[in-house]
Amino acid sequence: MKVSKLWLDKFFDAPLPDAAALAEALTFHAFEIDGIEKVGDDKVLDVKVTPNRGHDCLSHRGIAKELSAILKIPLANDPLEAHPVLAPVTTEVTVDLHRTVLCKRYIAGYIKGVKVGPSPEWLRARLEAVGQRSINNVVDATNFVMFNIGQPLHAFDAGKLGSLSLGVRAAQDGEVMVALDKKSYTLKDTMLVITAGDAPVGIAGVKGGMPAAIDETTKDIVIESANFDGVSVRKTAQALKLRTDASTRFEQVISPELAGYGMQSAVELIQKLAGGELAGYADAYPEPQPPMYANVTVEKVNQVLGTGLTGADIADAFTRLGLPYKEESGVFEVSVPFERLDLVIAEDLIEEVARIIGYDKIPAAPLPDFGKQPEINQNFAAAESLREELIKKGYSEVCTSVFADKGERMVLNKVDSVRPYLRSSLVPGLAEALAKNKPNKDLLGLKEIKLFEIGTVWSAGKETIMIGTVTEKEKASEKIFAPANSAGYGELPVSTAARFEHFSKYPYIVRDIAMWALVDTDAEKIIRTESGTLAVKISLFDRFEKGGKISLAYRIIFQSFDRTLTEVEVNEIMGKVSSALKAQGFEIR
Amino acid sequence: MDMTPDAQLGHLHPISSLIREANQIFFRMGFTLAEGPLLESEWYNFDALNVPKDHPSRDMQDTFFIKDMHGHVLRTHTSPVQVRYMESQIKKGAEPPYRVIVPGKVFRNEATDMTHEAEFTQIEGLVVGENISIANLKGTLELFLKNMFTGAQVEIRFRPSFFPFVEPGVEVDMRLVGDAVPEKLKDKWIEMMGAGMVHPSVLKNAGVDPKKYQGFAFGVGLDRLAMLKWGIDDVRYMHSADLRFVNQF
Repeated sequence: MKVSKLWLDKFFDAPLPDAAALAEALTFHAFEIDGIEKVGDDKVLDVKVTPNRGHDCLSHRGIAKELSAILKIPLANDPLEAHPVLAPVTTEVTVDLHRTVLCKRYIAGYIKGVKVGPSPEWLRARLEAVGQRSINNVVDATNFVMFNIGQPLHAFDAGKLGSLSLGVRAAQDGEVMVALDKKSYTLKDTMLVITAGDAPVGIAGVKGGMPAAIDETTKDIVIESANFDGVSVRKTAQALKLRTDASTRFEQVISPELAGYGMQSAVELIQKLAGGELAGYADAYPEPQPPMYANVTVEKVNQVLGTGLTGADIADAFTRLGLPYKEESGVFEVSVPFERLDLVIAEDLIEEVARIIGYDKIPAAPLPDFGKQPEINQNFAAAESLREELIKKGYSEVCTSVFADKGERMVLNKVDSVRPYLRSSLVPGLAEALAKNKPNKDLLGLKEIKLFEIGTVWSAGKETIMIGTVTEKEKASEKIFAPANSAGYGELPVSTAARFEHFSKYPYIVRDIAMWALVDTDAEKIIRTESGTLAVKISLFDRFEKGGKISLAYRIIFQSFDRTLTEVEVNEIMGKVSSALKAQGFEIR
Repeated sequence: MDMTPDAQLGHLHPISSLIREANQIFFRMGFTLAEGPLLESEWYNFDALNVPKDHPSRDMQDTFFIKDMHGHVLRTHTSPVQVRYMESQIKKGAEPPYRVIVPGKVFRNEATDMTHEAEFTQIEGLVVGENISIANLKGTLELFLKNMFTGAQVEIRFRPSFFPFVEPGVEVDMRLVGDAVPEKLKDKWIEMMGAGMVHPSVLKNAGVDPKKYQGFAFGVGLDRLAMLKWGIDDVRYMHSADLRFVNQF
């Protein structure tokens, strides 16, 4: 979520430390930061709010509250502090929830006589900083409140609604609604709609309808501040391929209490920007959210964290986070703020303590005595001894893809849609691997390519682990892998490679050179000097003595990292190599 | 005379080498190696791990679903084996303490590039007992990474994070310090893995009493570990079956 630094500052008496310092504070105590962007005079942080904090932190207020706790700077203006009073009540607008469980609360606020126009500069700047386009003062006000406290809102043109009898009901299968994006959506009965006199005017929690859109001619407006079921909104948004800032907030589940705060803030701001007179509110809230409590003991905190924190340390963390608590003989009872739906069990509170105190304050401790012997995994023991056995015989281990062109089991939704089956055999993969490696035999300095794989296949309705081998002489074959009966794994070697070295993706050229050595001169050194950097491998592959003379045969592999070499240039190099060897007294054969 | 040695040795795949090395390190600390199926039920892959249906946290992992096998996925992590292992122990009448590592293949439905693969390898760790803490998690990971990156001073740090199957949840960063460390890695904090204290619901789902026992879990990407350890710049080499790659290890 995009978070504006200048926006955050408004929650405090004095400007906060710079954006980099805020990013650091959030990274180590709350959320990862995906980047900081400069937008005009503002700095915008891209905060990766975790799914457990979507309830309260998809808002500037939520992030400000976190910073207040981390940096120990009290919030000067908390929009969630004073409980909203939704008065007066109006009977001009009515709301019927039709007993749906998918809407916990629906508040309609009715304002008459607004003057729709452009937003003031400060509001445009705030919204543009977080990537929003300014539309008009009324719509911008509802968006501002959403990004400010996290409650999605919607404004209808009351004159265009046709009826002020609002309802929330399941859509009819095939019911069509044109949304604010001017696209028409065909709805299903699993989706929830907002209705005016039973005509759909909005897709609940996702998007408002075009017919009641606010424009310059709008006089009277109805503001919606509601609470819709997370799963329902998520499924609707997915099915319609219409994810909005509202739907992302509802699908994380937000408190129905927040709707009251959202409504009051929106009405205040709209009246400030667009005038109008508040006719009143209609609040359908059949089952108010009960108070929430969570408990934890000092002992449990220290048991889980491995720390020696005191009651005072824990109390300090709770105070900084604005979590009211009662403490009695080591037991903390936290009265959970309505928006913190993530705080339920003791471990949730322990996490709050840990991250506010800082994970760097938690020591590293060795594991206690186990008092048991670990078991030997007989599948793994068998795989390990099989690996050793095959490696000794010259086989190298490969790991090929489990995805194949054919098989018994098919993947439904593969992103790249190539090889959509799960392999039923290791054989095709090994045969392909052999073919791929054969041309590189000289480069690899191998007499024969030999490969093995221990891998999973799906065949005969089962998932089975197989061992497969292939060589240039023997076709690829596989057998079911059998567990061992070992007393231990043995001391097996691990790779001693230091660093991976890049290899060229261009073809190589091989040249052999044989000679009679009459003198005691290092032929390889001469070859290396003369053949230059394009010779990637020089090896003595044959040597014999006859009649007091020594025959030497070298294989030289030429390859470039940036191009395909030509026969001509390699022949030229070989010419130089021959001449140099001759000059040193070798007789080229 | 033929100069090519008759007894040319083959090579171990670098991921197998890492699993072998990790198993040696953890075996000394009392960990048993456990396994589980790659084609996993949604119950073990998600529900038992406290990832509810239709919840945004399921979006955190792009999942492969299987045709005509409703309720099954290619496992997105090695964590389902946490529940499978604990369940099997309880069934045998073996109460905690438990110490397990689970190396194995996992799958994410995403386009592949130099740093992303649809199939890769993870190693999961699980420790459950009466007094297992975040401090023990720190100590265990320090010891593991020190053994994996011998010759360097290894520092680790935790940052708050969220995975539905742990609470508290952390992200673990590592920094290598010392003259032997390659320039590219030296003194830089690198994200290594997700970890945390096993969520009480996960223990409960596996039949372990969360009032009596607690524990930690972690999951490391071995492909990423291999890339860091050996300076490999393209994850796709792992499944390339190219001996120009494998035979370097």
